[in-house]
Order: sequence, then structure tokens, then C-alpha cells
Amino acid sequence: MKFLLFAGAILVGGVLVKNPYHLQLLTFIGIYTLLALGLNMLMGYAGQISLGHAAFFGLGAYTTAVLTVHYGWSPWMSLPVALLLTACVSFLVALPMLKLHGFYLGMGTLGFGMIGYILFRGWARVTGGDSGLVGIPPLSVGSMELTSKTAYYFLVWFCVTVGFIVCERIVGSRMGRALRAIHDSEQAAGAMGVDTSRIKVNVFVLSAVFSALAGFLYAHMVTFISPSSFDFLVSVRMVTMVVIGGMASIWGSLLGASLLTLLPEWLHVFVDYEMMVYGLVLMVVMIFLPQGLTRGLMDAYERSRSRYRNRHANP
Amino acid sequence: MSDLDHDTGIAMPILEVRGVSKSFGGLQALFDISFEVLPATIHAVIGPNGAGKTTLFNAVTGVYVPDAGEIVYDGEAIQGRKPHAIAAKGIMRTFQNVELFGSMSVLENVLVGRHSRMRCGFWGAIGRLPWVRREEREARDRAMELLQFVGLEQVAGQPSTDLPFGWQRFLEIARAMGAEPRLMLLDEPASGLNPVETQRLGDLLLKIRDRGITLLLVEHDMSLTMGISDRILVLHQGRRLAEGTPREVQSNEAVIAAYLGKER
Amino acid sequence: MQELLQYFFSGITSGAVYAVIALGFTMLFNSTGLINFAQGEFVMLGALSLITLWRDFKLPLPLAFCLAVVGVAMVGILLERLAIRSVRKPHPIVLVIITVGASILLRGVAMLHWGKDAYSVRSFSRHPPIEIAGATLLPQSLWILAIVLLIVAGLQFFYRRTLTGKAMQACSINRKAASLLGIGSESMVLLAFGVSAAMGAVGGVLIAPITMSGYDMGTLLGLKGFCAAMLGGLGSSWGAVVGGLLLGILESLGVGFFSSSLKDAIAFLLLLLILYVRPSGLLGVKAVHRF
Repeated sequence: MKFLLFAGAILVGGVLVKNPYHLQLLTFIGIYTLLALGLNMLMGYAGQISLGHAAFFGLGAYTTAVLTVHYGWSPWMSLPVALLLTACVSFLVALPMLKLHGFYLGMGTLGFGMIGYILFRGWARVTGGDSGLVGIPPLSVGSMELTSKTAYYFLVWFCVTVGFIVCERIVGSRMGRALRAIHDSEQAAGAMGVDTSRIKVNVFVLSAVFSALAGFLYAHMVTFISPSSFDFLVSVRMVTMVVIGGMASIWGSLLGASLLTLLPEWLHVFVDYEMMVYGLVLMVVMIFLPQGLTRGLMDAYERSRSRYRNRHANP
Repeated sequence: MSDLDHDTGIAMPILEVRGVSKSFGGLQALFDISFEVLPATIHAVIGPNGAGKTTLFNAVTGVYVPDAGEIVYDGEAIQGRKPHAIAAKGIMRTFQNVELFGSMSVLENVLVGRHSRMRCGFWGAIGRLPWVRREEREARDRAMELLQFVGLEQVAGQPSTDLPFGWQRFLEIARAMGAEPRLMLLDEPASGLNPVETQRLGDLLLKIRDRGITLLLVEHDMSLTMGISDRILVLHQGRRLAEGTPREVQSNEAVIAAYLGKER
Repeated sequence: MQELLQYFFSGITSGAVYAVIALGFTMLFNSTGLINFAQGEFVMLGALSLITLWRDFKLPLPLAFCLAVVGVAMVGILLERLAIRSVRKPHPIVLVIITVGASILLRGVAMLHWGKDAYSVRSFSRHPPIEIAGATLLPQSLWILAIVLLIVAGLQFFYRRTLTGKAMQACSINRKAASLLGIGSESMVLLAFGVSAAMGAVGGVLIAPITMSGYDMGTLLGLKGFCAAMLGGLGSSWGAVVGGLLLGILESLGVGFFSSSLKDAIAFLLLLLILYVRPSGLLGVKAVHRF
């Protein structure tokens, strides 16, 4: 039901919005939503922080870019390769990384993200170095190129819808409960029979694959990528989206992604203040509403409602 | 019962601890501890603070690996296994300081307890096939039954952290029972409970034993321990001081000396 | 041989700076169990403030040095008072995000104030470079080494001989017990934040003459400082110094024998390796719990 409404909204948006600039903006929101959604599974649900997810975003984008530009592959051939490669890399990274906790995990993932960025810049023969890769072909279905903004909009939001369904199903299942159990108390989760290390690795891979998919869509949309789109600040932006939207809130990812995409558009001076705003948002939300904005507000609402109900139940 | 030895007709122990030692740095927390727990009994471990009770629990549940000795559960050595693997074999526990999953509802807590009895993985969850839905439905029914059993069915949907402390203890027991364990380890289940709740806890533990579940408990409340336990193991400074029925332990001179203190 | 010596000189120079930054991490970790992701930003603030005060305002060097360090220490104290202390749930993930937020915020402020350019400043003294066996040793390197040694000695004195230092150690061992003895752990945490920020600032002041300083230098230096602290075993002051020097030398050898574009990757690879293989560090004797 929820998803029918959601699909309906996407359809209406795609039909009504004709301005190509607005369509592009909406498409960007979709891509960022995918990023936030994936990271939220790891951070919001399982409680494992990652400050290096931009590297997976970049890995997805660069894999498809290199394969299509240098080797002339069809994008649809490079998609599974990009996802699979990211899955493998993230698996190898996660195995030792997720033995770390708290601060160490933060530093470890931060270091990993930096290595990714340095490789994108430094491995110039393949990645084009600082100047990046140009001429990434747009996606096409059969002989029809998805050059129209509307078509791409639908493609991206189709992926987002699938992403939502996947995450919602996981969250409502035995696995989702296990993730939240790990978040609340890793020790108790283990004592309840939850194989914490394995599930943490799995959810890390899942979130990396989401990022890679977003990277793939991003690369074929803008047709040009450079390392600066995958630096530390991008990882921080992803974390900010999750924090704004709410840890452990699937729909909050959509809100977080929308806000952080639209804010710079609305406030043109915002560019200069971008970092300050992210920093402040992260600090303020974490200090006062550690569950995130949506979740925190919802909790506050629930609490006041139940207080109201109690007052009326026992006068 | 299946736990009976075919030749002799004597019950086989469900848990055997053989010569387990564990030290942290220079501190010897457990020294050559051996004892047996018979199925469907309540076996208490008592002793002054620092006697090594919680260390013993952590060794049995796989949190610590003993430096020496064997822990045999149901005829199989389990020392050194990971906690989740031990839990999956049917050994569940509660914690001294109540470790509930705070972001989850009461019912969901019990459902996590059922984790090792369910099979649905990531792919199963994404596919949501009929068997997954059936499994989920059954798990919920079973969890509700358990909440009824401990008397918390009214608050199944509430956040677990909103419960009064005493109820949280009962919830932890229900959660541990979610996995249909054969052996449950309860770490000071009565601490923080008022006398009425303690009384209820005692009745509940007896009911759990009557379901055929073996209980190993650490407890400071002597009237509760003496009242419900079938056997009692007394630890003192990491060593085994005495073992026997409540009556035997109560009249044991070494125990009295350790508890009342000869010197002080 | 001559080349090797040259790498060694440049290695211990940057290594000494990493050591000071690592000391900042170590100091804070010792008294609060916290790792501050904004530590690198203190380095950046220290470097840029020195440049402004000394080069632009033409203050005498010692005064500019002190002002920069004290100013950054104030920022550290503010961070503790306004953000860290108000945290309701001191869960590590919350603290990580808050300090990352602080780091981005400080970066943003610095970008507004100093712009996106990178600045340089002359070295502390105008002595000519010294030549030893064909390799040149910059006078700034000597300055750096001398100041770092002074700081380490000062820290040792502080921890061993002063009441405050002992109180601080007591707090880190057992906060509750210390507060029962009348040691206010709140003020200790505040002090630790101030001193560790000051340490970062010293690192920045020292490095300003030998590198280009810009608003975005902090993240990299912070991570390297953390890497150095981990190398030496987080929590040990001497470990931080040795770790810093080791990292500096390894890095400069890496630049010399491989490629300069991979210079920064060396530190991170080392960091990951340490985190995986030996989280107690090379010198750490006690097992550090990777919470």
C-alpha cells in the first residue's frame, strides 16, 4: 500500500514535472536516497559507523566508467561487474574492519575512504587522475537511448523503489531484528544466538552495493566523473543524510537526501556555508536527538500522545 | 526420558564442568572447578562477591575461553566455541544488569530470543516466500505464549525500556526461553526485585523447571536460593568450597566460615 | 647513503610533528577514553593562526606562538563545554558523529575566514641550512625536534610530579572512585580537552613553515597523528613519540623509493594494518580493548 502510494507519487512527479532542471534535481535526490538508504542499514540499524562509504560510491562509478570508456563495454554489462566488484571489495574490507568497534571503526573506515580517494586520484592511467573520466555513455534500452531526463528519472526512482522494498522487508524480518539487536547490545545479541560478526559483514556488503548502484546511476547520468565527487566530504554528506533522516528510519533517508540536495539549490550562498551547516547539523542533532531528526520528532510526538491518552484514561 | 542412561537408568548430566580454570592477568578468577548439572533441576551457584560466579557463567556461555578444563554440554565439549554457536545449541542466559534490546518492543525482544530457531536470512527476507511468512507467524505466536507464561502479554507492543525494572527481568527470562533452550543460565535474577516479585520469580523458575528446562542460577537472595534449588555449588575466591543439597550446604562448616567470616 | 640520510632528516622532521599530534590524541584518550575526530582541525587552526599573527600582524614569534596555542586550546575547551558535555547518550557512534561534525564545522569556519588558498610562512630562524655528510638539515627541523622534546618532558613532569597530572590519571583509571576522592572529573575532562587541543595547535605551528597550510589540511594530519598514536600503542606518551617518528621516516622513505602520489596512502595502509593486526600498537604492552 505504502509502495503503491510511493510509486504513484513518482509517476505523478515524472508526468507533471517538465522543467529539465527540476527533473535532474529530482533524479539526484533519488541517487542520494539510495546512498542514504544503504548507509542507514549499516549505521542506523546495525549501529556500525562508516566514514568511508564514498569509496564504494566511487568504486561503482569508476568501474562502469572505466569499462565503458576504455573498453567500450555496454553499461548493462558493466553494471553487474560494478556491483559484484564492490561486493567483493567491501567483503574483504569488512572481514577485519568490523571486528573494530566505535572510534576505531570510525578511524578505520575513514582511512579506507581516504585510500579510495587517493587511488582514484593517483592511479591516473586508469582513472584519469584529477581531471577524471569524460565521455561516459548514457544508458540505452535496445536502440533507444535514455537521454531524456524523464526516462532517467523513472529509471533512478524505479531503483529507489526496489531499494525501499528490499530494506523494508529486511527490517521487518528476523535479520532486521538481529541488526537492531547488534545495535542495542552486541553482547546480548550474541548470547541470543545472533552471529554478530557474520551479520555485520553482510549488512556492510549490502550497504556498499547500494552505494555502488548509486555510483553507477550517477556516472551514466552526468557522463563525467572526477575524484572530488568521492572525497571525505561526500562520506560526511552521506552520514549527515542518515542523521537528518533518522537513524533506523527507512523513509527518513528520503527526507535526508531531499534536504541535502535541495538546500544548496535554494540557498545559493549555501555553497560557502555548506560545511558549517553539515557540521552544525551533525552536532546539534546528535546532541539533542540521537535517534535522528525524523525518529526523534516522531518519538516526541508518540510520547506526548500517550501522555495525553493516559491523562484522559485516568482522570 | 531420553536423558536417562540406557544401562543404568540414572540421569546423564546435561552439563559437566571439568577442571575449568581461568585467570585474568595475575588474578585467578576460577581454579579447577568441576561439577555436574542434572537435567530438569535447578542448580544454584552461590558465593561472596568476587567468588567467580559470573566468570563461570561467561565461560559456559562462550564469552571467555577457559585456560584449562572442559565444559561438556549434552555429551559434547563446547569450551572455546563462539557465544552465538553455544546459544544455538540450546544454552541461553540472562544478564546481571538486564541487557534488553532497548530500541525494540517487548514482543520483538522475545522474537530475537527465537533467532536461532528461525532460518530466514537476508535473501529469505527479501524474497518473503510463503515459508518465511509462516515461520514469522509461528514465531510471533510462540513469543506471545511466552509473554503470557511470564505475565507480560498486556505490554507486548510497548518499548521494552518503558517497563518497570522487575518486569524487565521477567522479559529477559521470556526472551531466553524464546530459543526453546534446554539449559538456562540466570545471573542474579532476583537482584533489584521487591519481595512480591521475588516470590513470583521463584514460582516462575519452578514452573520453568517443570517444563523440563534445566536452570543454573547465580543468586544472592538466600531464601529464594535455598527454597527452590535442587543442588547448590558454593564458590569462594575462585575455588569450589562445597556442593550439595540446600540442607547440606547450610550445615557445611566451610561455607558458614566463608559467609560469616571467621576473622571478621 | 647520502640520499638515505636526507630521507631520514625529512622523515624525523615531519615525524616529530605527527608525534605532537599523536600526543594530543593520547592525552585525551588517557583521561576520557574518547578519540576526537576534530583533532586534525586543531592542527589546521594552529598553523593558520600562527601565519596570521606572525606574518600578517607582525607580532613577535614567541607571542604569536603562544597566542595561537592558547586560542586553539580555548576552541577545544569550548567544544567540550558546548558539545561533548551536553551529550545525553555517550555512545561511541554518537561521539564519533559529533566530533566529525565539529571537525567539518571548524573546517567550514576556517574556509570562510582564510579562504581556499594555501599559505606559507618562513621558518622560525634565518639560519642557513646545515650540511651533514652531503644531506641538508633545515634549522626548522631542529626547532621542531627541540620543541617536541620539551613538550614530552613537560608532559612526563605533569603526569608524574604534579597533583593535577596525577588526578587526571586517577580519573582515567576510575572516574567514579576519583570523584569520591574529591577529584572533579568534569574539570579534568575540560582540562584534557584544552591541553590536547593545545597539543594539536603546537603541531600546526611547527608544521606551518615546512608545508603549505590551508583550511583542508586537518583531516589528513589528524589521521596521520592517530596512525602514529596507534603505532605506538594508544595511551602511551613515549609510544606516541616513537610512533610519530616511525611514521615520518616510513613515509619519507616511501616517497623516496616509490612515488610521491602514494605518500598519504602509506599512513592509512599502516593504520589499517595496525588496527587489524596489533591494535595495542608496537610498544603497547597492555591489551587495549577496541571498544
